[in-house]
Amino acid sequence: MSEQQNYEPRVVAFLCKWCSSAGSDLAGVSRIQYPPNATPITVPCTGAVSPMYILSAFNKGADGVLVSGCHIGDCHYIEGNFLARRKMQLIMQLLEFIGVEPNRFRMSWVSAAEGAKFAQVITDFVDDLKPLGPQEKLKKADRI
Amino acid sequence: MEKILDKKRIDDWIAALTDWEVLAPALQDGIWTYKPVSGAARLDHPNTRQSPKELTFPQREIFFSFEQIKGEPPKLTQILPKETRHVVFGVRSCDGKGVPRMDKVFTDHVEDTYYTTRRKNVAYVGLACNKPPSSTCFCLSVGGSPVSTDGLDVQMTDLGDRYFVKAITETGKALMKAAGSLLAEAAAADQKQVKQVHADAVAYPQRKINDPDGAPAKLKASFNSPLWDEMARACIGCGICTFLCPTCHCFDINDEVQSKAPLKGQRVRTWDNCQFPDFTMHSSGHNPRENTGARLRQRVNHKFQYFHENFGMHQCTGCGRCVSECPVGIDIVAVVNKVTENVG
Amino acid sequence: MINIKDIRDTARDMLAKGEVRTVIGYRRGSRGMPAEPAFITSPEQADELIWDPTCYHNLSLYLVHDRKISAHLQKNSGLPIAIVAKGCDARSIVVLMQEHYFKREDVYIIGVSCEGTGVLDERKLASHLNGVQPTLAAFDGDDYVFTTAEGEKRLPAREVMADRCLECRIPFPKEHNLVFGDDKTGRQLAEPFAALTKFEEQGNSERWDIWSHHFDRCMRCFACRSVCPMCYCDECVVDSITFPVTQQTSAAEKADRVRWIERSAMRSENITYLMTRAMHLAGRCTDCGECDRACPVNIPIRMLNNKMEREAREKFGYEPGASIGGPSLVASFLDNDPGDFIR
Repeated sequence: MSEQQNYEPRVVAFLCKWCSSAGSDLAGVSRIQYPPNATPITVPCTGAVSPMYILSAFNKGADGVLVSGCHIGDCHYIEGNFLARRKMQLIMQLLEFIGVEPNRFRMSWVSAAEGAKFAQVITDFVDDLKPLGPQEKLKKADRI
Repeated sequence: MEKILDKKRIDDWIAALTDWEVLAPALQDGIWTYKPVSGAARLDHPNTRQSPKELTFPQREIFFSFEQIKGEPPKLTQILPKETRHVVFGVRSCDGKGVPRMDKVFTDHVEDTYYTTRRKNVAYVGLACNKPPSSTCFCLSVGGSPVSTDGLDVQMTDLGDRYFVKAITETGKALMKAAGSLLAEAAAADQKQVKQVHADAVAYPQRKINDPDGAPAKLKASFNSPLWDEMARACIGCGICTFLCPTCHCFDINDEVQSKAPLKGQRVRTWDNCQFPDFTMHSSGHNPRENTGARLRQRVNHKFQYFHENFGMHQCTGCGRCVSECPVGIDIVAVVNKVTENVG
Repeated sequence: MINIKDIRDTARDMLAKGEVRTVIGYRRGSRGMPAEPAFITSPEQADELIWDPTCYHNLSLYLVHDRKISAHLQKNSGLPIAIVAKGCDARSIVVLMQEHYFKREDVYIIGVSCEGTGVLDERKLASHLNGVQPTLAAFDGDDYVFTTAEGEKRLPAREVMADRCLECRIPFPKEHNLVFGDDKTGRQLAEPFAALTKFEEQGNSERWDIWSHHFDRCMRCFACRSVCPMCYCDECVVDSITFPVTQQTSAAEKADRVRWIERSAMRSENITYLMTRAMHLAGRCTDCGECDRACPVNIPIRMLNNKMEREAREKFGYEPGASIGGPSLVASFLDNDPGDFIR
């Protein structure tokens, strides 16, 4: 039981450099408290996030994967987030289809000004991941 | 040692083999596969989709694990297979014939510890084919027979309500001894019936390779034949033929890195397949077998020429899996016939 | 009803006139009932062509092969290739042209309508024939007729037809130069996505139990990839040919190498492979069902692609292989694409 309580999910967060990544910085400089579970990976645009990144993160042991980018209309490359919205919808559906818990994958729009929202997104995600326990379904087993 | 087993008592025999983990064909997901026996064993299978080679030559074999901590010498730990004793029931003669061929490859020149560790712990209880289980069978063309005992430890023959059980090796005798009173002495009438069943099985018509003995020389002469490209035109370059084959043994060795700091991982052997486009791809980008024709030639020549030159026997055992399962109808019997017929 | 003579005459005629280089169609196989792909290059060979319920193959794969070979030899292929294409096959050709893999004038589509039937599913047939192995299959109205050692056997096509054909919405090659058979679009013998819908009624953990079982069984023979005309990438993520290893390659470099998927056939790697493939086929798969048919261990791969197809259809109104000039699914978007899953 205590192990369950101490379990800290590992989140891989793909953050757009123009918005969510800056948003996470703002959360930091604003000294907003949020769980330290997310490993940020800055990407030039959510449109550049291949579904393979998500599969690969789960394969390498991520408990949850977050993709966060600019609000619709705010994309630095005009339409990257529109494309991401489609692709992420598809991979999300596919993961759920084979029986991966829907709460393991999340997408959010967080602008550079939304430090508080970023902290909230991470907090909610970690809260939702904790009851699920470690992600073993897609993780490469240490078969020795 | 020749005995008779009541068909209904096969499970009792299997239950008596307490020192062994018993596998038998099971119909699962629409295909016959060797599975650990739970409950009643069925031996009414045609042939299994995959050959039993996985037991001695698994698709993934870990050789050793490695670890390097900065400032320390690298640490290598050999990982040998677990010594679990397996006995496989219902092995068809063609797959039995595959066993000595795999033995040649993995022990003849250099002994492969991983293979031999597994091999010495596996026993094969064969089931003779009263008639060829598939329309693609051609064991008679490659020096085999539906009732061959090669590679088997025990051979069973279906005599309707009972099996005729014959020990082939010492291990086989031990397996039969474990059955105790379940096995009755074979009467003269049984002996006679088995002879008849076997004779009928051999007489049953099969597909034919026309000149198997001339094949090695003729294939050698046909290396540059344009027929290869023509016949491989439809080949899609998948791994079905080799992965299902009881004697295909090409493998690849890879390092699977688990973590970078500290550097940790395993060196593993996995099945490789000569039909994959990257089979002999060099790091320069050059590929000596760059099209499907060259790769089909590699497989066919390996079975019927190179192996024959090295060990004096065809590597193909005539199980027909590659023929029946090829999605585009590449047919090794037709290929060998066509190539050999085109040589003077 | 399609008369094979029409197809043969067309092929013979085009080859004699030198209008096409090759006619890709079906011919009798050497191993029994199933047809095999035929590459007809001279008028005399045209009589080898056949059309029967075992013409499963999506031959557009060979247009891809041809393209790859001519690219490799750096030779312009010249004359077009004629190809016999069913509804699903023709849609695959459309997707390939949509992706500029080749041009419309490079291919001459001899369309064949699937009319009241589709093609056979040998697995279903096996359970009907009880060990008897047929040597020939033929269309006859809404039935299939099989020649076996024990005489002729007639079965209603719907009982042994491939699921994808039962569920097919458009069993007619809309894109064609020439077409044989009547357009029976809407003949639909079963609800589209029927198997998928049934599967999805199960809960999350049941779905996982079923899929993890299948993922464990994958041998990674890559037949699904190899048989698919859409899997034409020169370098597939699962192959390891992009990273040269020399004596000078350090352990650290090897460790740093991006290896998406290990070669080992184990569950996690098989999942990554099969899921990646499903993603790459989203909006491109035309449900020819070849991956499903080719799989030697009967993994229901088609269901993954079906799932993506239905999502694309329901969420984005996207129909793969609908038009050559149309946008591709993941390189296009609509302003009102659903986004309510995003926080």
